[in-house]
Amino acid sequence: MAEEIDFDAILKKYHSDPYDYVDIRATQTGRVSFKITEGSNVNSPSGEWLHIPGTPLFEITRERNPKIVTAKTNGTIASVRTELEGQFVEAGEKLLTIRHPLKKKEVIENILKEVLDLFPAPERAKYFFSLDIQSRIEKRGARAITIKPGDEIITMSLMKRDTPIYYTGEAGVIHSIYFTPGLSVDQGQPLIGICASDKLPLIQKVITRVKADWDKLIEPTTLEE
Amino acid sequence: MAAINRPTPASLQEYLWTYEKTSRSQYPLLPNSEEILCILRYGAIVGSVIQCHSSMDRTMDQARQYISDLEKSGGSVASGTVILADTLIRPKGRFARAWHAPVGGLWGCLILADTFLSKARTLLPLTLGVSCCEAVRDLGVNDASVRWVNDVLVDGRKLAGFLVESFRSPRYGEGFHLLGFGININNSRFPAALTNMAVSLSQILDSPVNLHNFTLSFLAKMAWNIGLLCYEEERELHQSFFSEEQKSHLLLEQWKNLSDTLGKRVLYGYDIQQNPLYEATVTGIRADGAIVMRLKDGNEIIEHGGELQYL
Repeated sequence: MAEEIDFDAILKKYHSDPYDYVDIRATQTGRVSFKITEGSNVNSPSGEWLHIPGTPLFEITRERNPKIVTAKTNGTIASVRTELEGQFVEAGEKLLTIRHPLKKKEVIENILKEVLDLFPAPERAKYFFSLDIQSRIEKRGARAITIKPGDEIITMSLMKRDTPIYYTGEAGVIHSIYFTPGLSVDQGQPLIGICASDKLPLIQKVITRVKADWDKLIEPTTLEE
Repeated sequence: MAAINRPTPASLQEYLWTYEKTSRSQYPLLPNSEEILCILRYGAIVGSVIQCHSSMDRTMDQARQYISDLEKSGGSVASGTVILADTLIRPKGRFARAWHAPVGGLWGCLILADTFLSKARTLLPLTLGVSCCEAVRDLGVNDASVRWVNDVLVDGRKLAGFLVESFRSPRYGEGFHLLGFGININNSRFPAALTNMAVSLSQILDSPVNLHNFTLSFLAKMAWNIGLLCYEEERELHQSFFSEEQKSHLLLEQWKNLSDTLGKRVLYGYDIQQNPLYEATVTGIRADGAIVMRLKDGNEIIEHGGELQYL
């Protein structure tokens, strides 16, 4: 993690372009048919359990088995590879990009993700803290919990098969928790963000600085709170 | 003190290659006897070593210790090793729930080396519920059924509970799956909190059950169902089956035959006792074992883990 952070540069970057650009790729091999056009607005999943699918983006058909792929994030379609319409594509081929407007909270999270050590989900599954870590979090709060490589920190649960997950990064405190126990997390998504104890003041500085400077830099109409 | 329940690898192999082979020869989805033999060969590692103890704290802990100790001495555990105990001193279920394991029940753990591909690994917990339900129905309890994922119920009361935990060995970093099983056989007294929720096989049949024979039957069916997972992997790798169009996994087909979950109105939760989340109606099970439910608002939701309670 960098000792010094150029706050002005980071904030200017988000000020000039307060969006995330999310590339959407083919989930499998198949023939693709787009359901959106450039400039379309798309919605993310909704409902109490996020069970209502987002806007359909494209249909991909393999062996006469069509699958609709829906948006996981809200925003506007920034680009679509229309030349691939009706074509056979390989899994992983980039098909379109969604421009997602960032909220202040997301900007802070994005900056923190650049300065924290992120521990990613090894598989799409449900995750919960190990009993020991959970009880320590309940008593003292996550940021009072120091973990080190080899510690059993999280249990991954898939179809009632529980797998202990051992921490493999640098020793530090649990600064951010990105998962909700009981809700599925996609493979590769961060589960927790860790920082060394002596870096906590720096992290706090990031949050304070963004909160203090954000409104001065960003037009209120540009971003939601 | 010597254990009461003492099946041996030899007795299990004899059971597998005589009774189990004969009963599976009627298997309607596999008319080819060579396929039956292939599945049995794949599953025959189950019970390659059987440890029988009169009592211990927990068989899952014993399994982890056994793997670690063998590695320290330069050895390696045999995949398919089964650890049995007549009684458990400190049994526990998932989420540290209390579990009652007195003499008379079948308490144990099967150690499998993690040689499975991702899809089979996901379906592994189904083998326990399917095997137990098959063994129970073989005794004439035809209303035994499986509740997703792998609970075995009779008249709404729980006959068996299972735990699957993965474990990485400390020295060599080898991956193992520990399949814990607890089946109420001849134990008929339960703690007050469980009296209306649990039931034993002897209570259902109103007579004692031969624990030794039931153990052989259950382990032989585990061998068959784990063999099925390996057999389906082989077919998928050869792309001769299990394509997008023909998603009929034999273990899932058998699960559907034995389960009464499809169509049921349920309460769902990750930890149903502590934190029930929502009510829904079960509409299907996907090829990866995930359950599909319809919520009150008409939308469908897919869950890959968690627990159900029938309403």
